[in-house]
Amino acid sequence: MVEALIFYMFAFVLIASAVMVVVSRNPVHSVLFLVMAFFNTAGLFVLLGAEFIAMMLVIVYVGAVAVLFLFVVMMLEIGKVSMKEGMVTYLPVGLFVGLVLLAELVFVYLGWEMAEGAADRRLFPTPDASEVANTHALGQIIYTHNVYLFQISGLILLVAMIGAIVLSLRTRPGVRKQDIADQLDRRREDAVELHKVESGAGIK
Amino acid sequence: MAEFFSEYMLPVLWIAAKIMMIVLPLLGAVAYLTYAERKVLAAMQLRQGPMMVGPFGLLQPLADGLKLFSKEMIFPQQSSKIVFVLAPMLTFTLSLVAWAVIPFDEGLVLADINVGILYLFAISSLGVYGILMAGWASNSRYAFLGGLRSAAQMVSYEVSIGFVIVSVMLVTGSMNLSEIVLAERVWWVDLLLFPMFVIFVISILAETNRAPFDLPEGESELVGGYNVEYSAMTFALFFLGEYANMILMSAIAVILFLGGWLPPFGIEFAWLSWVPGIVWFGLKTASVLFIFLWARATLPRYRYDQLMRLGWKVFLPFTLVWLVVIAGALLAGDALPVM
Amino acid sequence: MVTFESLNFSPAIPEIFLAVMGMILLIFGVFRGDKGFRLVCWFTVFSFALAAVLLLHLADISSLAFGGMFVTESFAVVMKVIVLTGASIAVLMSMQYAQREKIARFEYPVLMLFSTLGMMLMLSANDLMALYLAIELQSLPLYVLAALNRDNLKSSEAGVKYFTLGALSSGLLLYGCSMVYGFSGTTNFNDIAIALSAMETPSAGLVTGLVFILAGLAFKVSAVPFHMWTPDVYEGAPSSVTAFFAMVPKVAAMGLLVRVTMGAFGGIAEQWQQVLWLMAAASALLGAFAALRQTNIKRLMAYSSIGHMGYALIGLTAASIDGVRGLMLYMTIYMFMSAGVFAVILLMVRKGQQVEEIDDLAGLAKYNPVMAVCLAVLLFSMAGIPPLAGFFGKLFVFQAAISGGFYWLAIIGVLSSVVAAYYYLRIIRIMYFDTAENELDRVEDTPSLFMMRGTAFLAVIFALIIWPLFHVLHEAVERLLAI
Repeated sequence: MVEALIFYMFAFVLIASAVMVVVSRNPVHSVLFLVMAFFNTAGLFVLLGAEFIAMMLVIVYVGAVAVLFLFVVMMLEIGKVSMKEGMVTYLPVGLFVGLVLLAELVFVYLGWEMAEGAADRRLFPTPDASEVANTHALGQIIYTHNVYLFQISGLILLVAMIGAIVLSLRTRPGVRKQDIADQLDRRREDAVELHKVESGAGIK
Repeated sequence: MAEFFSEYMLPVLWIAAKIMMIVLPLLGAVAYLTYAERKVLAAMQLRQGPMMVGPFGLLQPLADGLKLFSKEMIFPQQSSKIVFVLAPMLTFTLSLVAWAVIPFDEGLVLADINVGILYLFAISSLGVYGILMAGWASNSRYAFLGGLRSAAQMVSYEVSIGFVIVSVMLVTGSMNLSEIVLAERVWWVDLLLFPMFVIFVISILAETNRAPFDLPEGESELVGGYNVEYSAMTFALFFLGEYANMILMSAIAVILFLGGWLPPFGIEFAWLSWVPGIVWFGLKTASVLFIFLWARATLPRYRYDQLMRLGWKVFLPFTLVWLVVIAGALLAGDALPVM
Repeated sequence: MVTFESLNFSPAIPEIFLAVMGMILLIFGVFRGDKGFRLVCWFTVFSFALAAVLLLHLADISSLAFGGMFVTESFAVVMKVIVLTGASIAVLMSMQYAQREKIARFEYPVLMLFSTLGMMLMLSANDLMALYLAIELQSLPLYVLAALNRDNLKSSEAGVKYFTLGALSSGLLLYGCSMVYGFSGTTNFNDIAIALSAMETPSAGLVTGLVFILAGLAFKVSAVPFHMWTPDVYEGAPSSVTAFFAMVPKVAAMGLLVRVTMGAFGGIAEQWQQVLWLMAAASALLGAFAALRQTNIKRLMAYSSIGHMGYALIGLTAASIDGVRGLMLYMTIYMFMSAGVFAVILLMVRKGQQVEEIDDLAGLAKYNPVMAVCLAVLLFSMAGIPPLAGFFGKLFVFQAAISGGFYWLAIIGVLSSVVAAYYYLRIIRIMYFDTAENELDRVEDTPSLFMMRGTAFLAVIFALIIWPLFHVLHEAVERLLAI
């Protein structure tokens, strides 16, 4: 009963905040609601027993992605009105698409039929949680079974990073940067000169 | 009804009592951390520090607290009221909920979850929201700048903290905090972890926005950073949250690197093991906290670009490389934790 | 229980080597800066050569690696060696051009290396997931390369266009993959083939999935109706990058197409033959007719390559040993001929400025006869005039179509190559019979000059070397289809 209660709490807040992301007049509030939605999703994952994924969701999406998102939205200062322009015109279309998707979901749910023995042929059956902690189970799948795919994904991300740098990095001339090594190399002789100044004579 | 009472109400009450047992001492510790800070700073600057309220000024934190509680809350014009109030509450709550998974002694932990270390990491990565929200909702330039600086800083240093945590998980083979404390380690592995410990301590200074990385507050340039506009209770919550976070981060450092509640340096004298584990834990945490105060008293504030440079161009590459070194050493020395 | 040790890394050693080299070169480049461009180029070519040597050591082994996701046999080895050759040529030809056009950044060869690595993984993919990731690894560097000349509007446009449409095609491909997985219960090619043979009639979902996968792959080989990106990307991208686009990725994508259709879905050939029939005919026709009115030589080459993909697909439509062998031969020849033509395009410089209109070649025969002869030979070869190389390519493909009973397809192929011959001949006419208003510079770009002469020479003597090549390809295809 407690689980059910907690589930409905998370689920309700999740949906409510998802709605608020769209409806909210202020873009910053939207992002904050998005964060709330992520957080409640993580709660649902914990209820499912997928604690690792729950934590990763918070760390990656809430802790990093949404922060940058919030950052950008705050800096851009998107006008409150301009965001909502066209809301009325697009609302019917949006509702229609939503309804179609909902209907499809219902049909799929009603007409769902598993092939015989399909459950046994799954590539990676879920192990019993009491035997293997789900972090270990995930590790086994990602780093052992699918190490090949994992490595290619890594290469793809590397290429994406190179691409982003190649296309956006511009070395501007005339920018003064701190060179730590240079500073440390500086000797006393380079910087200070001692003169014995006679009274009233001055230096050069 | 009786069944409902015994099955649900009693456990809930028991948990609430346990939470209280953690939170109340914690708040006391926060109060006296402020006192300790002023005293330590004073000693290092050849002053006397608080002396007037109570013997040796021991009641000073209480007086400060009372003062803050009795003041008026001020809302800046055109601020986003709800977010403005939520921000300090969030900061304070987050600094408390993290304590749920901290083991104070063997078995003395509120929730002994499998992924304790990830939980801590997740909670600490949420901390940035309180500050960003405060900075934005205040509708003030100083506060906004402070908030942005703080967000950038915390996100940057979380990366290296993440790698440090991964290296500890690699060495101990667990994400459960109690298991991390109890894991058997070979001496040279500890030696390999030492640079990671140094980086961790420096990073938590940045993560908690403490000197020498206190640019988000930077009173000489930003007046007071993200909390300029806050007063009374709301300010007090930020204040409490910040200091609770300091204690939390020190506790994490103790658990990850300094052996938690175990006697220091693995000494096994009989009279040492009589001392309850929680005392060792407290002493170790206090000594890490001393580093916080020490750094504040002795180091000048970093410039913003220097801070970013340190995070991205020194710590990140170093931790990455060192992680590989540790993994390689573990493999070569056959010291990988067995599952 | 799969353990790390049981994964069998050894068949992938050439790929692993290339990946490691890519990262080493990247670090080298970061420290050396763009001054190290030429050196990085040379090291890239050197790595390609070493990878080819490593590949040839594995040539006789046919084995699975990584739990069946990676397969290597003589077909994969032959195709990979062709790809590596093409990539090396492209890198060598780029060196001077990139410096002239001020896009000589050290990432350039490194991106090419990673793209080539993706192509090698494509040729070895034996699993839908591996297929998708390999394709992404192959295309992502290409998007970046297309936009490399970032201050040039056309180049940026090419990059964005290529990226957007590429994402669309990835979406189609993934959708198809998910349907195939849903209806067969597996992502592994061998298991898909088994699941198919267990069905009496292939389920509609599986066929739909296959069609979507074919659409995604057709985008990569730029077959009609997924060709729209080709002219704009070819025109906008820096010419040396276009050379790479034209030569290498298509070979890899064709190889992958062969493995998907003949391997995983070999059991339901009649289903995909219809799709390929349509694509082949439409590509051949569009390639022939749309190129007639082009004035920009890079755009012309784009349409020409669409046409050539049509001819190559005619071979695959036959779904026989002859057909696949014809396709491989066609792609090999096509790659070398494109290399030659693009070498000429890279050499089209007037007063230090790169030019790319067909009219800029006017009167070339008068003042630079060697270049004119080479280009003429290459274009004749592309048009399929005997006894040049291109003729043999077309010959075997059409032969396979006829012996497979696809008479109409063969007729369409022949007719469209007659039309295509017109625009190749038009270039030759301009070179030989028009008068030059402004002469082109003589560029001392040794690699490109060498490629131009070498490929033209190859086109002429091809009749002499075709049989050993034919033998190698035949054996490779036999091994592939025997599994």
